[in-house]
Amino acid sequence: MDFGIVELAPDVIAFWDTEVVPFMEEFLSDEVLEQERHHGNGFVPEYRRALGAKGWLANATSNGDDDTVGLDPLRAAIVAAEESRRARSLFPVLGSNDLVTTVVNQFGSAELREHIGPGLRRGDIHCCLGYTEPDCGSDAAAIRTRAIRDGDEWVINGQKMFSTGAHLCQYVMVTARTNPDASKHQSITVLLVPLEHPGVEVQGIATLGGERTNFVYLDEARVADEYRLGPVDQGWQVASGSLAAEHGMSDGSATHSDVDQTTVDVIEALGRSLSWRDEFPVVLAAAERWARNAQRRDRSYEIDDPAVRLRLARIALDCEVARITPDPYGRVVASDLLIRGTDELLAMIGAAGVVTAGEDGAVADGVLEWAHRFAQGTSIYGGTTDIQRNLIAEHVLGLPRHRGALKR
Amino acid sequence: MSPRVIRRQDYSLSEEQLQLSKVFASLFERESPSVRVRAAEPVGFDADLWQQLTGAGVISMALPEAVGGDDATLVDLALVAEEFGRSMAPVPLIDAMTAARLLAAVGAPEGVVRALAAGTKTATIALHPFHARERQLISSGAMADIVVGLDGDALVMSEGPPPAAVANLACAPLAWRDLSTNDHTRSIVAEGLAAELAFAHAVLEWKALMAAAQTGIANGARILASEYVTERHAFGVPIGTFQAISHPIVDIAAGVEGARRLALRAAWFLEHEPECALGDVLMAFVAASDVANRAASFGIHALGGLGFTLESDMQLYFRRARGWTLLAGDPQADLQQLGDHLYGPEPTH
Repeated sequence: MDFGIVELAPDVIAFWDTEVVPFMEEFLSDEVLEQERHHGNGFVPEYRRALGAKGWLANATSNGDDDTVGLDPLRAAIVAAEESRRARSLFPVLGSNDLVTTVVNQFGSAELREHIGPGLRRGDIHCCLGYTEPDCGSDAAAIRTRAIRDGDEWVINGQKMFSTGAHLCQYVMVTARTNPDASKHQSITVLLVPLEHPGVEVQGIATLGGERTNFVYLDEARVADEYRLGPVDQGWQVASGSLAAEHGMSDGSATHSDVDQTTVDVIEALGRSLSWRDEFPVVLAAAERWARNAQRRDRSYEIDDPAVRLRLARIALDCEVARITPDPYGRVVASDLLIRGTDELLAMIGAAGVVTAGEDGAVADGVLEWAHRFAQGTSIYGGTTDIQRNLIAEHVLGLPRHRGALKR
Repeated sequence: MSPRVIRRQDYSLSEEQLQLSKVFASLFERESPSVRVRAAEPVGFDADLWQQLTGAGVISMALPEAVGGDDATLVDLALVAEEFGRSMAPVPLIDAMTAARLLAAVGAPEGVVRALAAGTKTATIALHPFHARERQLISSGAMADIVVGLDGDALVMSEGPPPAAVANLACAPLAWRDLSTNDHTRSIVAEGLAAELAFAHAVLEWKALMAAAQTGIANGARILASEYVTERHAFGVPIGTFQAISHPIVDIAAGVEGARRLALRAAWFLEHEPECALGDVLMAFVAASDVANRAASFGIHALGGLGFTLESDMQLYFRRARGWTLLAGDPQADLQQLGDHLYGPEPTH
């Protein structure tokens, strides 16, 4: 147990100030972030390519099987922290991308890894997820999308939903039914589908949180067998492993899973020490700024009112609990408290809280108005918090399996 | 400009700490089963058990080497406190540890401190400063030989036979005491700013250790509820299969994990950087009180009618969840203090 201050060597401080900060100011400028908030793409390809050109992506995506120079864990943590301070919550696609990268490294054919590995490490190639369908979400094995073997290729038909980033990514990792005769968990195969292929069509879906997500329609789409991830009909194991990782995605904690545990530990430890790592502290800080600057008719500031400080304290406690509660509980707690906290903060501000970013009188650039909407999605994507509670009840606490549980 | 203070966030426990936690878990489990907790009611004090524990060194471990103690860290003490809370042992562990450490810190007479370390005498702390003619309810006040408290800027100590216990929610040995000038047995052990700071620090230690104990209460209640809902059948299935039962239990387990981290971190800061500890202690205390109360209250509900009977051990947790923490006052006051500390014009220290 140690919460002491990490001594930073002069060269590390120099790296932080003279390399990372100016880099972020250039590639994640206010203008870029404003655009991102407006379009809700889920990531910024130019920024990712710039990171790749610096060699700063190597740590997250390489297995050390080429000459790419990576960052040491401390420097990687600094880059990650500066990114998250500005925009992590705007970049959900990066979580998906890291997850697909993990699966590709673990299950991909040598040809596939050779083909896309360098692009992933350079930030030229990004991948998104294609698990969910209009008729199945949490019950991820109930998919209807089918793939049929045709010589060296697979022919895919079906539709995927909530493939965030598909309109800017190069690949989508798709689950498809490949054996109509086997049980639902023994008949799924995972395929990495190039989004530019004929028969693949992407259509946008707007969300309450401002993020754009997508339908991916697969109409006689063809993909070579080298793009298969893991054994035929054993895709459930491949997909459920990465689903488990995705459960931590909303707090960024699983984005580097299985790459290098030591690195992950250090990044986790350092990243979490930076209190603006996640959305909640950013939102809370915005509310604090408002309370310190908003003047009442009697010239006192909101924060001078003990009742306002009491409300802020309650939420500050929730924010800290959300930040430190360990997995597998962390995501459930963080999501619930974020939903409650953003709502409470918005209510505290009152009428002006509802004004949208960029409009006359918007409070703290509309961060709270946005966060209140954004928070609602965090208990849904990556598997709902209800599903996660079922998993914890059964697998962690040893409670009896609930009636609707999957039969294995 | 980037903030350049990066703190380690290492919540891991050393082998020795894990071992310590395990030893005390089994000690309390063996020596303080619920039948013994019940036998000590309504006063809530078991002199034989206390003698056994002080003989085993629970108070001397909390004291510095200079006064014959074993100089355990506050994190170690918090680990012990969690297991104490889980067992609800009818002994004044936290009060006695805190008061002994306070008296040792301000240089109370050596004979007194050595008697506390040896367990021949027990001290407790009055958690609120006294004002003239105001009595207050003292935790362990009905069994302690010595009460230490703050009156104005004087840290005072009163020694003598304890007054009678008053029956209470927690079945704890509570008694009313007044350490202001009305008390003719009192003596002054320290004065001025040093006395006030030492007292304030002791109250924070009490809250951090109580946060750990409440984490233990919440965990105990959660485990008892989990066992019951796994065995109890209704409508042909174990009731733990219903999400209306299992999901609140998951939320309580999550609350236990969070409260434990907050309590241990508060203890770490009190030990290593006490000037930075206030916010963490208040957070830990409020969060742990809250989860213990939720756990025991939901626990009674999960056990249904049986949970509402005095036969059920769940009511033991329920009584101590609120009954121990409210001695420090309304938790809202701690939240208000946290708010003033974080957001006040002049942060309090």
